[in-house]
Amino acid sequence: MSGPEVHHLFHRPIADHSFSADRKILAVAKDSAVELYGKVAGSFKLKDELKGHDKTITGVDIAPNSGRIVTCSQDRNALVWEPSPTGYKPTLVLLRIARAATFVRWSPSETKFAVGSGDRVIAVCYFEEENDWWVSKHLKKPIRSTITTVAWHPNGVLLAAGSTDAHARVFSSFIKGVDARPDPSVWGERLPFNTVCGEFMNNSAGWVHSVAFSPSGDALAFAAHDSSITVVYPTAPEQPPRAVISINTQLLPFMSLIWSSESEIVAAGHDCEAFRFQGDASGWQLSGTLESKGRPGLGDEREESALNMFKQMDLKGKAKDDTQLKTVHQNTISTLRAYESNGGNVTQFSSKSSGVDGRLVIWTL
Amino acid sequence: MSIIQQQASLGDAWRTINIDALDPDSSQNFDTTTLHPPLPEINEADVRQLNAQVRQLLRGGDAEGALRGCLETPVYNGPESAKEAHLQTVTEVLQSIKASDMSPMLERIHQSPGGSELLDVLIKYLYKGMAASAGASGAPRAAGSRTPSTLTPQQTGFSQVGSRPGATNESTGAAMSVILSWHEKVIDIAGLGSIGRCMTDWRKV
Repeated sequence: MSGPEVHHLFHRPIADHSFSADRKILAVAKDSAVELYGKVAGSFKLKDELKGHDKTITGVDIAPNSGRIVTCSQDRNALVWEPSPTGYKPTLVLLRIARAATFVRWSPSETKFAVGSGDRVIAVCYFEEENDWWVSKHLKKPIRSTITTVAWHPNGVLLAAGSTDAHARVFSSFIKGVDARPDPSVWGERLPFNTVCGEFMNNSAGWVHSVAFSPSGDALAFAAHDSSITVVYPTAPEQPPRAVISINTQLLPFMSLIWSSESEIVAAGHDCEAFRFQGDASGWQLSGTLESKGRPGLGDEREESALNMFKQMDLKGKAKDDTQLKTVHQNTISTLRAYESNGGNVTQFSSKSSGVDGRLVIWTL
Repeated sequence: MSIIQQQASLGDAWRTINIDALDPDSSQNFDTTTLHPPLPEINEADVRQLNAQVRQLLRGGDAEGALRGCLETPVYNGPESAKEAHLQTVTEVLQSIKASDMSPMLERIHQSPGGSELLDVLIKYLYKGMAASAGASGAPRAAGSRTPSTLTPQQTGFSQVGSRPGATNESTGAAMSVILSWHEKVIDIAGLGSIGRCMTDWRKV
């Protein structure tokens, strides 16, 4: 296991990031533009800039096969950027929302994407051939507050969403003519649009920051603002789930989580480091941090000379410089994404932090 | 230039319209309490009964049992008087436990199944206790500062209202120091997460 690969892109917060399938292109949301970085000899170089939004971009996602990039922003719009030999061409998407768009993700089929918003709706967008335009259908009921996050089921029909009304929900986003009828699963058999397949909250009802389906799609995990992660194992449609496991931690809240395998979750957030959770339907537990405390390079204290000590005390009023965190990230980690996976198991993942940090780190599990 | 200014002021005007009030689906026009499952209601009689049980455990020397007993049935849904009475019970138990016993006892509770939930409840009562004793110690001081300018009958009236029955200024100070030392020990074991949960939680004690 090698150490984490740290890329310091710029001194601005990163709202969202996404890698292309071959991991040669990295899209990073920076203020109202998306910057595309190319990997050159182990480091990322700025290659292109996608400008089209006039407010802060909140989400960016690259479709792995088609290479299309979708972005959403606080200006209430989403744009689909089509790659072409002369550069990326934007197409506006008809979202019909009155508040900021907060989150966007392509479905696994890449024919649809879901945009969460502050307007208490999720816009499920698809391409309509006859109008030559991206249009949307709204998932509305029973959402009562801002959607903070969405995640797709591997079948491309079920969609999980987390909201500030403290619920994690599973919806059907089946669109006739776009989706093939999905196989029956633990979540449901007949799935017309806006079927609510599950609605979960944890005991203390914290805002949901992140949701994720397990690789098989048969379990759902979500992280909430009460420093907990909750894993739900459904049994069958219209029946109570066979297990809902909440792990309250002693840590600060998690902002993002991903499943690295059917029995392992990686979560990270306000503690600026990533943690591993392991378990199954019988129980989950926190198994440790991914940060190796004795890493060289950090805590590289300069030789303690009396001169240096007094110099520091004179300059800063204290002998030791404690403005650096002992973690790789120096601010809240806001998104985790799978970077490389191997037979359904994620072996590497990337994390990036918010705040004036601008770091993107690739970790090896 | 003038048009832009005019537009800017127009813009300001519409910004002051409360659009949430006009939207029938907005959270302003929606009872958010219906988002949560209802909690069992606990009335004052239940609290008194529990108080008696807890006292018996305390007399029997089972302080941990007493603490668990009152943390397992927090008053989330009930009249204000029941909530106050339960806070009294919890404070009594906390004050009767020796400082040296705190950490090992909390550690045992935290390790037991559902223990982290109990410590979250304890944190809620600690903060409620702080609020109560801060309010109680604040009022007499305000009354005291008025003494020179106001008449004596008023002053005694104030102190009767301000201080809680059986709690003088010194004892609220002592109560606060007990609460603070508990707070420190609980955070050592339950971590910062428990403070976050206490602030996030919709179930208030």
